[in-house]
Amino acid sequence: MALPKHLQNGLTPDELTFLAEEETIDIVPLFSMTRVRLLSGIYGPFTPPSSAKVPLWLALSLKRKRKCRIVPPEWLSIDRVQNVLKEERENAESFCSLPRRFIEISKVLLDVAQDDSMQPSLLRSLLKDLREVRQAKIRIGLQSEGVMRGSYLQVTNLTPLELSELKPFLVKAMGIMQSLEPRGDDDEDEEEGQ
Amino acid sequence: MDDDYYSLNSILAENHKLSCSFTLDVEGLGYLEGGTENNIHQHSKVELPFWLAQTLSLNEFTTFPLPPPYSNRVKAALNASAQSVKLSNLVGGNGWWYRWGRRIADVLDDEPQADLLNTLLKAFINRLPALQDLSAHHASADHTLPESSTSTTETFRDGMEGDERELFAIGQESGKMTRNWYDSNGSRKGGR
Repeated sequence: MALPKHLQNGLTPDELTFLAEEETIDIVPLFSMTRVRLLSGIYGPFTPPSSAKVPLWLALSLKRKRKCRIVPPEWLSIDRVQNVLKEERENAESFCSLPRRFIEISKVLLDVAQDDSMQPSLLRSLLKDLREVRQAKIRIGLQSEGVMRGSYLQVTNLTPLELSELKPFLVKAMGIMQSLEPRGDDDEDEEEGQ
Repeated sequence: MDDDYYSLNSILAENHKLSCSFTLDVEGLGYLEGGTENNIHQHSKVELPFWLAQTLSLNEFTTFPLPPPYSNRVKAALNASAQSVKLSNLVGGNGWWYRWGRRIADVLDDEPQADLLNTLLKAFINRLPALQDLSAHHASADHTLPESSTSTTETFRDGMEGDERELFAIGQESGKMTRNWYDSNGSRKGGR
């Protein structure tokens, strides 16, 4: 393959952000416009001060031109993130269920729409902590029994971004382990106790 | 590991020489021994690249003992501490210990084959955690020069075998990519 090895198995974070920008989000437009038909659908009408639902990419584009205010999604409030962080820290075995595009959306919103979220610096540090806790759990999981036997890795509730970071390494490592298995081994009926 | 016909790594690994002894006299191939003889005599030891040795052994023209990179001495060192064994210089230039071992195992009979594969697998599994930690560490910090670290990490890093080095590079690259994305502020030129 012509792609470098670390790109062969997944999507880059930029590509994942692009995909994440399909999600709808609320905005409060600062301009007036009737309903508009774009390639991807019909949006509007834009009448301040009522909010409108648009895809994230459109919201970001308008925000950059200072034509709207973005309403952060309800899972991006300080309380919710703090709760998730607490749960994440308490649960050493598994990951908390997060909205699928949590990381990408939160990062993009904090970059572009800082003034619209409450206490952006606190939010940023909370998100960073959350990310670190999850990374630590991933690293521990990588040395779990299933991986060492080259059979499986439990990844419930990992977001696509974390998965794509993990995949190239894990796939190659497990490939090597599999190729080193003794030949002509019958399937062992072992209960994977977890 | 890819055993693809076109895999450059496999080609390089299979080029490593194996010492075997011929079971019969062969006329006219004396140059393989590197000497000036015209013929090869029975029981003479010749160093052949593995791709040649494999076909000859499968047809029972040659036999070979377990080569030194997989000797009992190496096995004992791996049992003691898998992470401190330098696998990089055991097999040829870039060190393809796992690959070469696998190819050899294909030619062995059942029991030594299972034994050899087991050694390789256990060694890999025992070295994997250190490899993961190292690659995660290097992904999140900009180390281009070696720093003074504990002796096991240093020996491990120097002794990483070819496939392990590739694995390390992959882990480091994907970690770096994610980190750069996090640190970038997503500023674009003008509006989209």
